[in-house]
Amino acid sequence: MSWRPTGLTPVVSFEDVSKVYGRVRAVDGLSLQLWAGQTVAFLGPNGAGKSTSLDMLVALRKPTSGRIRMFGSDPYHAVKSGRVGAMLQSGGLMPEVTVRELVTLVTGFHPRPLPVDLTLRRAGIADLASRRVDRLSGGQTQRVRFALAIVGDSDLIVLDEPTTAMDVESRQAFWENMNAEVAGGRTLLFATHYLEEADQAADRILVINKGRLLADGTPAQIKARAGAKRISFRLDHIDEPTLRRLPALVHLEIRHDLVQIQSADSDRTLYALLDAGWRPREIEVSSLGLEQAFLAITAADNDHAAAPTRAAYAEVTS
Amino acid sequence: MNGTLALALAEVRRLGRNKRYSIFSVALPVVLYLVIAPQARHASAYGVGYPAYYMIAMASIGAFSGALTGNAQRISQERKDGWIRQLRLTSLPANAYVLAKVIASMVTTILSVAIVLVIGRFYGGVHLAAWKWLAIAGVIWLGALTFAALAVAIGYRFAPDTVQPVAMLVYFVMSILGGLWFALAGWMQKIGQGLPTYQITRIGTGLISGGTVSMTSIGVILAWLAAFILLAVLAVRSTAETV
Repeated sequence: MSWRPTGLTPVVSFEDVSKVYGRVRAVDGLSLQLWAGQTVAFLGPNGAGKSTSLDMLVALRKPTSGRIRMFGSDPYHAVKSGRVGAMLQSGGLMPEVTVRELVTLVTGFHPRPLPVDLTLRRAGIADLASRRVDRLSGGQTQRVRFALAIVGDSDLIVLDEPTTAMDVESRQAFWENMNAEVAGGRTLLFATHYLEEADQAADRILVINKGRLLADGTPAQIKARAGAKRISFRLDHIDEPTLRRLPALVHLEIRHDLVQIQSADSDRTLYALLDAGWRPREIEVSSLGLEQAFLAITAADNDHAAAPTRAAYAEVTS
Repeated sequence: MNGTLALALAEVRRLGRNKRYSIFSVALPVVLYLVIAPQARHASAYGVGYPAYYMIAMASIGAFSGALTGNAQRISQERKDGWIRQLRLTSLPANAYVLAKVIASMVTTILSVAIVLVIGRFYGGVHLAAWKWLAIAGVIWLGALTFAALAVAIGYRFAPDTVQPVAMLVYFVMSILGGLWFALAGWMQKIGQGLPTYQITRIGTGLISGGTVSMTSIGVILAWLAAFILLAVLAVRSTAETV
């Protein structure tokens, strides 16, 4: 793959990592590598296994099988050496102290601490410094938790859904600060279910669903992979099997006389349709955003998983 | 270790700001002593004057409730809120949180014990040699370690909504049957002899009356300390995945 500079140790590597809770496979054979300087979005719906993967990465949980390495060492020692700054969804704050006291305390734990005022400013909480931690709003708490992830000069920053509970304005401010943070060559891995966020902030997107990696590439590659264009038209006397055989077709949806096709090559699909003698009306060809791409990728995965069940059902009823 | 001490210092600062803690482990024993000791000035218990016995009992109550009721609930809540998880993402060693809690608890206990002893000396009229004061303070202080360990075990084992009744139950059984509210006799004393709270008081009264300490008392306290440390270690370990 184009992501793999030779002769370097990856910042993070997952080697066939699984995590099983009872009968649920939260993470299912995940393999991936992150390289220095990348800004990577971990994109997936709720319950896709994002948080579990990040928890295992920062040594809060142990994989059931497989191996995780960070900077060539095991996650626990990588975390303890201060090379990782992390903000997890389940992370909490110490109550009864002020924001400044808390940030100062945690800064003191870091082997390569940054000035407290700098951290407060970067996290956008300088004006909250003297407020009690347990008397902040959800969005403010979120920013304090973010501050704790950047108190030191860590090489990797891990953020699990960093902008939940933030309004649009704080979200923008957050990403401006974040871009400044990673401009110096730090690696950033963040989980999100906001596609827009992944598209704008990341230079690489990992799409995850049901604990498995479905796609890995630049935002542009992900969009292309899902079928880059959508063709829609109206057609009388629809013959579904023929439509399904159209070239470059990724996804087909039929509602009455309205047909929607996702295609990896809209020209080829459309020409084939016309060559076959069809004369569709109200033809529209449009680009897919990342959102549709993401939905297409996960929908295809869900269909795939459901297929055996459907086959079994057909057998029983026939 | 510096990080752990910094965390312990922050914990002490927090305890100082917490009203509930200040009321139950500092103010309550002092007020009880000021009210009750003068009324029983001529009575005696366990071979010493009542003001001396009650001084030891109240110092123990303060140490006990500070170490147990304060810590257990906080640990449980902070576990639920994710503060412990947050700390595990720092460079602090894995056991730093528990260590800092115990250190903080022991530091604040010094204050609450010292206040009661000073009041016993100047208000209750208890006069002792300097070494006996130190020995009594030391025994109560080490006794508090027993409850700090128990607090860790309870805090890790129970969720925030159940931890309070559990801690209160332990608190009342240990303090009443340990003879911290009133001197024991008869069957209650027989049961009490097996409890660390009772033995801490008896070491104190033994020091005052004759300057001797019973080995049985020390053995009982150490046995409970060992048991509670074991419970604490097991409780912390059992939550290692989910903390």
